[in-house]
Amino acid sequence: MSKEKKVKDPRGKLGKLEKREARVGYFFVAPWLIGVALFLLYPLCQSFYYMWFNIRITPLQTVYTYVGTGNFTQIWLENPEFPQQIVTYLWQTIVEVPIIVVFALMIAIMLNGKIKCRGLFRLIFFLPVIIVSGPVMNMLVTEGAASIPALNTESIMTAFDAFLPTSLAESITEIFADMIMILWYSGVQILIFLSALQKIDSAMYEAASMDGASGWESFWKITLPTIKPYILLNAVYSVIFLSSNEQNELITMIQSAMFSGTKEKGYGYAAAMAWMYAVIVTLIVLLFFLLLGSKKDMYDRQVKRRQRAVKKEARLVKKIERRGKRNAKKIERARQKRKYKTYSGESDY
Amino acid sequence: MKKKTLALLLCATTVFAMAGCGNQGSSSSGNVDENGVTTDDITLTYWHYEDETTMQLLAEAFMEKYPNITVETRQISDMSTDLSAAATAGTFPDVFAGTDVDTALANQYWRDITEYWNNDPENQNLMATINEYGIGCFDTNVRYAAPVWCQPSAMFVDKNVVETLNLTMPDTDWTWAEMIDFIKTATQGSGNDKYYGLGYYNRLDSLYGIAAVSSDVRRIKGEFGFNGTDYDLSYWAIGEQEFADLKRAGYVAPLQGTMEMFDWLGDPDAWFGNTGHAAVASEGFWTFQNIWNTTSDDGVPYQEKYGGTDWIPYVTPNVVDEKEHNTIASMYLGGVSTSCKYPYEAYLLLKFMGWGVDGWSARMDIYEDESIVNASGVPLKQAMMPVPLTLDQTIWDRYKALFPQDADHKPYWDDYFDSITRPVPFGWQSIAGYWNFCDQYFNKIGIHDLVDNGSAQAADYAEEATRQANYYHAEAMISYFGPKGYDILSEDEIAQYEALIASFTQ
Repeated sequence: MSKEKKVKDPRGKLGKLEKREARVGYFFVAPWLIGVALFLLYPLCQSFYYMWFNIRITPLQTVYTYVGTGNFTQIWLENPEFPQQIVTYLWQTIVEVPIIVVFALMIAIMLNGKIKCRGLFRLIFFLPVIIVSGPVMNMLVTEGAASIPALNTESIMTAFDAFLPTSLAESITEIFADMIMILWYSGVQILIFLSALQKIDSAMYEAASMDGASGWESFWKITLPTIKPYILLNAVYSVIFLSSNEQNELITMIQSAMFSGTKEKGYGYAAAMAWMYAVIVTLIVLLFFLLLGSKKDMYDRQVKRRQRAVKKEARLVKKIERRGKRNAKKIERARQKRKYKTYSGESDY
Repeated sequence: MKKKTLALLLCATTVFAMAGCGNQGSSSSGNVDENGVTTDDITLTYWHYEDETTMQLLAEAFMEKYPNITVETRQISDMSTDLSAAATAGTFPDVFAGTDVDTALANQYWRDITEYWNNDPENQNLMATINEYGIGCFDTNVRYAAPVWCQPSAMFVDKNVVETLNLTMPDTDWTWAEMIDFIKTATQGSGNDKYYGLGYYNRLDSLYGIAAVSSDVRRIKGEFGFNGTDYDLSYWAIGEQEFADLKRAGYVAPLQGTMEMFDWLGDPDAWFGNTGHAAVASEGFWTFQNIWNTTSDDGVPYQEKYGGTDWIPYVTPNVVDEKEHNTIASMYLGGVSTSCKYPYEAYLLLKFMGWGVDGWSARMDIYEDESIVNASGVPLKQAMMPVPLTLDQTIWDRYKALFPQDADHKPYWDDYFDSITRPVPFGWQSIAGYWNFCDQYFNKIGIHDLVDNGSAQAADYAEEATRQANYYHAEAMISYFGPKGYDILSEDEIAQYEALIASFTQ
């Protein structure tokens, strides 16, 4: 009986070289892992713990007083500014994100075309990302550089106020007032769209062109479906950016509550605010995911179905193989116990 | 092997770097000189709201006096943020001056300095209200802080406007009613040439709350008629209503950034203080030295160049004709922190930087030398210079000499300085729970706007506002000084505050 060579299971025990490679791999990702543990997971758990307490930090010690859901009730019942800001933030984000994404896509398509000084234009549109951050942005906003002077925002406010609630009208007016700033936020998104556009196979456009498709048709049939995942990516990026940048009033409010010395506020109060805000941001991201998440087409569904069938077949084959092996072992054991008589050919069967 | 060495090196570097972040604490060896001051080489940190250059120079003067003590100063940009961050990081200053007492008391930032204060004879020669009203004791028997910076309110009268309108200068010991009459008389003309009787930075109701009554009737030691145990906002309501009535009747100049200002002067950003068309200004004391007493780059005095004004200081008048009366003032309170390892030395530093005669002598050297300028190139007497808290005559003589000395102006300034010896700090600088009251009730309902635009009468709010103010004060007193705070209140005191809270919630 020939002995079959045992095939090594790729998911089994690692060899010496593989172990060494794995160690080196872990070593290289260690800074990131430590960073995530220290600066993401630990603060996350800490803030989750904090939100159930009133925390006073004296020069000598930190005093934790358990308040249960006290911080939450106080925020909603005694801080009218927070719910107001949440409503404003919701409206602004839902309106601003599409503006940013559509603007970024338009600019990216233009920058992807064959135009003179293309590199310079790409630099110009990305420049705000580099220079307009933090204090520079604050200063520009204070100086009124983020708004269009010719735009009469008061008229816009009056127009919207006539048929919308004032808080909503204010939110929408603010979008017009900060229009330039919103467009400045498009730098990274333009870059993402550019890289997506450059990955589209030009042969597809050529084929479409040969079939008589116009540029407009090519955009809707080729460009947009191909970069659809990137639209979602940019929408999510924009939501996160708008939710966490320094211009966001809610961030300022949480920061101010965190460092507030009054007996009601402090770290616990700010942590409760931050968690509620995080849940709202997650819901907005989920909303955009539901709106822009790719729905698989017929071809995708067929491929998936075929893949599932192949997998099922493979599982069946393995099952049969295992059963065959088990039966073979059973027969072998019985043979060894001489329960089975094998026909020797010498007499009648 | 190389990788292992590299990994070890990285680990070692990280460990050393982390060790560098540790707190370099020091401990006292207990050696002191004959005055009880340590002879060890120590470092004290002083955080403040004043001009940083002034404070650095003062710190140098202190270090000359105590060569073994190094003082590091830092200007606070936001009290809550800076001190909370410092408490979290374990880098809390040894001494700090703050603007908001609720933050300091809620977090037990200040320690008890009663013993040092009471045993220091120099503290008896201070502006009277500091000891009389226990400013810095917060209505307890313990001193946690002391005023270190003070600027009393001032009413300025534009002498040029008075002459232009053929009026006579009011008496320097004018009463409240005389001031209101003067404001009304000085409001003349219309359109772009209109003269307003009053321009304001400080609202009159803030001033009236202190000036409303003689000390014999009610011992008002804080805003909103606070007498140390409870509030009475009926005084405030009279001032609030009177001010609103003046505004609506057109006696008060518009504020910057308003359409009314645009209608008056054609520029919404104009400021009444340099128009030469406002007779009385309810301004911060600092406005004189910081703005009106400056000279432009071309050598022309500010007042001559802008508006041709001639501002003369008047004390905030009292309702009754009392020469010596309380005046509301902006006061920063300073204290020694609970984490300080050298409290006595820190107290000496606090005193030197705030109210001590030695410190003020050093301050005068700095203010008198106009060649010394701050980071903005401004002589230090024009950088939010406070008034001395000590009553030492030598200091006051030198101080008064920093102000106009000509015969037309000196008498007014002398009278003004003689009448500001009873400062009473604003509520957030001295009363426990004041900020919560404003934040949770007073500012939330927007009383000022309602009364100013005539849609409500201040008197209608007085009773409920008094009830609310007393509740927030009682709640804060228990929170700050009760068992969960400094724990210095007697059972009777706690019971008294609890009864007040109970009556409020019923």
